Amino acid sequence: MNTTTLQTGAPALAAPQRTSGTRAMVAGAAVLAAALLLPLLVRNDYWLHSVIMVLYFAYLASAWNLVCGYVGQVSFGHSVFSGVGGYISVTLLTHAGMSPWLGMLVGALAAAALAVAIGYPTMRLKGPYFALTTIAVAEIIRIWFENTDVVFGIAIKGSQGLTVPLVGTSWAAMQFESKVPYYYIMLAMLLLVMGLTAWMERSRLGVCLKAIRGDRDAAESLGINPTRYYLAAFALSAFMTALGGTFYAQFIRFINPERNMGVELSIDMALMSIIGGQGTVLGPVIGAFFLTPVSEVLRSELGGQLVGLHLVIYGLVLILAVLYLPKGLLAPLSRWARRLLGGAPR
Amino acid sequence: MDSYILTYSALNGVLIGAMYGGIALGLSLIFGVLRIVNFAHGSFLMLSMYIAFWLHHWLGWDPYASALVAVPVMFGLGYAVQATIIAPLIRRERALVVEPISALLLTAGVYIVVDNLALMAFGANVRSVPSHIEQTTLSLGDYPLNTFRVVGCVSSIAIAAALSLWLARTDMGRAIRATAQNRDGAAMSGINVGQVYNTTFGLGCAIVGAMGCLLAPFIPLTPSVGLSFGIKSFIVVVLGGIGSIAGSLVGGLVIGVFESIAAQFVTTPTASIFSLALFIVILLVRPQGLMGKR
Repeated sequence: MNTTTLQTGAPALAAPQRTSGTRAMVAGAAVLAAALLLPLLVRNDYWLHSVIMVLYFAYLASAWNLVCGYVGQVSFGHSVFSGVGGYISVTLLTHAGMSPWLGMLVGALAAAALAVAIGYPTMRLKGPYFALTTIAVAEIIRIWFENTDVVFGIAIKGSQGLTVPLVGTSWAAMQFESKVPYYYIMLAMLLLVMGLTAWMERSRLGVCLKAIRGDRDAAESLGINPTRYYLAAFALSAFMTALGGTFYAQFIRFINPERNMGVELSIDMALMSIIGGQGTVLGPVIGAFFLTPVSEVLRSELGGQLVGLHLVIYGLVLILAVLYLPKGLLAPLSRWARRLLGGAPR
Repeated sequence: MDSYILTYSALNGVLIGAMYGGIALGLSLIFGVLRIVNFAHGSFLMLSMYIAFWLHHWLGWDPYASALVAVPVMFGLGYAVQATIIAPLIRRERALVVEPISALLLTAGVYIVVDNLALMAFGANVRSVPSHIEQTTLSLGDYPLNTFRVVGCVSSIAIAAALSLWLARTDMGRAIRATAQNRDGAAMSGINVGQVYNTTFGLGCAIVGAMGCLLAPFIPLTPSVGLSFGIKSFIVVVLGGIGSIAGSLVGGLVIGVFESIAAQFVTTPTASIFSLALFIVILLVRPQGLMGKR
């Protein structure tokens, strides 16, 4: 009905828009309710595991998006923050018996400090130079981890990686028999990072970052200090990425430099965010929901055959997205959703 | 550490460094003219090594002879990638300069597709491409040098010399240089910029095609061999200065000697940490490179 009023005349514009906003909220609440109830329906461990991995990648892509999507710098080295966070919380658990919840924060603070140390000298680099430098920094740290067995008397076991010791099933140890608690933890973390992104959109930080992205010199001449805002966003993004690293370590109970710090993980984060729509709240989540199932399904359907097929598809999707959907999948999807919800076609 | 070993490793560093320079030439040319970082550079190197492998496997060709096939094939492939995948991006952003980061993402997509197609088609097995040359060492005074590395080093320098002569003397070379200096100016003087871009990209890939055949006799071949050479080429190009042919060779030599000597003191992985660190320092301190102009 609203669509008809809209098509017949413009005067009623305000009313249908309000309705479409309400409908969007109803749709969002429905998705959230479905997400909360999902473990009741999905009893199969394999499927629940896959869903958790999708959420995990959506989380990492959203954390990546915090700085890269808003400052407009592409980092191909973000996996290092997840690796650092994971390694710190695991060694604290192993050697000091510290709860991963606390270790997670320690690791995240360390990652944020590392981000400032990396970001400060490199932030003046533009576009590809910045991207290549982040690869170089991440590779240096990864190679160092792979070839170091002991740091200050603490075993990190080089390329072999660390196994997370079982200290008993409890919330304090973030270790559970069932996968369901992991599902809810990851869902909460994803909602947290999405909320943070939505808050940043509206905050002074977000506005200033967009100004810096648009024209750095102009922003500076308006009295915005690019260094401060840029580093704040970079640290925040690294902090959130590191939390994801600890989650992964507790969930899989194993981390190693190749998987948790490698270029592949960084590229995955960047791809999901870019393909979904960087610089938006929903984009990275959509990217992860689109790409992760592709790789999971292909891996389980084809098993050992045709290794690499899911990456070929990732690559093709990336090429098509850069050429035809520079704003990501979110743009056509939201047009479609708006039509479905009866809002104003824009 | 005695001086014999140091001199020997420096000599080996020169040989391998000149080849790094040769591999980086194509990247530097494309970067200099199109202002695009070709992330798929190493993948093209890997493909040409597979051309050498299959020609040897099926027809018994020597890897050096397979350059006769690899060079034109890689030229065509590069030309096609530029004309079909990258040109639309440039056309879309005609009024503006190409946003360099989307071009990087685009070529990163090409890298992911090509490397994984190779993995699917050829498998992850490590292969080797033996050459028919039987004398595997040449001696320079007291120092025995690997013949294939000597051939690779001399050929790299010859390719660089031929490229700079070609750029200096021919009409197409002049058009390429003009486009590199000022795209719009070149277009207004009647140069077909699209054609120049396609040719430049093809030429960059053809050079890396030749380098693949020169590497094939002594580098073990896997579908993922490209990325490490690609990343090394970025380091070389940044070190030597973007778009500079001499800079590419000098940058390659610096990295080659640096890694070869460092490997005498620390383990090889640690040595690669140093060259990555050198890359970052150069970018921060002297972004125009050793031989580049502001």
